[in-house]
Amino acid sequence: MSARLVVTLAIVGAVAGALVAVFARATAPAIERAREAALHKALAEVLPAHANAPQREAVWVAGRTIYPARDAGGRLVGLAFVATAPDGYSGAIQLLLGLSPDGRIWAVRVLEHRETPGLGDQITRADWLGGFRGRGLHDTRWEVKKRGGDIDEFTGATITPSAVARAIGRALAWYAAHAEEIRRALDAKGRMRKKQAQGGAR
Amino acid sequence: MSHAHGVAATAADTSPRAIFARGIWRENTIFAHLLGMCPLLGVTTTTKNGLWMGAATTLVLVGSNAVISLVRRLIPREVRIPAYITIIAAFVTVVDLAMDAWAHEMHKILGLFIPLIVVNCAIMGRAEAFASKHGVVPSLLDGLAVGLGFTLALALLGFVRELLGEGAVFGHALWAEYPKALGFILPPGAFLALAFLLAAIRRFANKEA
Repeated sequence: MSARLVVTLAIVGAVAGALVAVFARATAPAIERAREAALHKALAEVLPAHANAPQREAVWVAGRTIYPARDAGGRLVGLAFVATAPDGYSGAIQLLLGLSPDGRIWAVRVLEHRETPGLGDQITRADWLGGFRGRGLHDTRWEVKKRGGDIDEFTGATITPSAVARAIGRALAWYAAHAEEIRRALDAKGRMRKKQAQGGAR
Repeated sequence: MSHAHGVAATAADTSPRAIFARGIWRENTIFAHLLGMCPLLGVTTTTKNGLWMGAATTLVLVGSNAVISLVRRLIPREVRIPAYITIIAAFVTVVDLAMDAWAHEMHKILGLFIPLIVVNCAIMGRAEAFASKHGVVPSLLDGLAVGLGFTLALALLGFVRELLGEGAVFGHALWAEYPKALGFILPPGAFLALAFLLAAIRRFANKEA
């Protein structure tokens, strides 16, 4: 009798597992495309007007992917990378930072969060995120006002905006420490692409 | 709880008309049984969220009800609960992947609540009370009817909370300077809005009877 119970559960588990595995494989390309499209849209929002494809010219520096924005002449007008605030109210918050080449904030978007609706999720408000434009590593104390910083918190939420503010501060410090390395990597990639483009034209 | 209703459901007739009347209205998961409160409180901050959550739950209900009905004679009584949960979990994972692929924005918004459909007791309730005792076609219809009833409740509550909490309908602000009513956006607001909705529905239903 008990053998029948075990066999039944094993079969149910195997069939259900197989169904999930097949479906996961089938949807993987579509999920990848959806993520790429979402990233593309977010990059367009955080970078200054550009003429290139930041996703295709991305470079990998010290554990982060850097997406460069270039004008029609190939000059660097901005760059973007992902920063994570691990200490949100309900888990990690993923941010996409857009910087001008001098290391100041151009724009910030929230990619992923699980913060409380109506309270913590106000970090996605365009007017609040807009307040970061032009701020740099040294002219801002990257903490909310309530905790002695320069960033506004909002009614009912301190932990979430504080996590975001500190994450941006850390990301700017990281950028300052690696600016030279990033510039070299981007230049190398830019020369390579230019060469390929000329080669293709001939 | 589900056992008592299970008895009632077994005795009931299985014509499509009766199944839909029960699923959408007379035995509505939210309004009559007060099951599935977790997604109800969690995601009904807007009408759109409610509709999407309802649609995802409906898909799982239809799939799990149909499959459980198909295999109901093959599964020994003693292990039926883990077997049903495994089947339900498979459908939830499929819906989760499908939304990630083709409704990426909504998948991000509903987040953890999609995987949590597994533990929505309404789904287990339908498996135990209906699908394990009826044929495939009535079970399929039952899943659809109960899902629609659940969606209706979620959308209705989302509508009320969005209107009162944010002064908006389907994401369109009705007033330029609406003071956000946090009470309605947060979970307590869901309880309050639900209480008033239930009171109104009971009064309406009593008159009907």
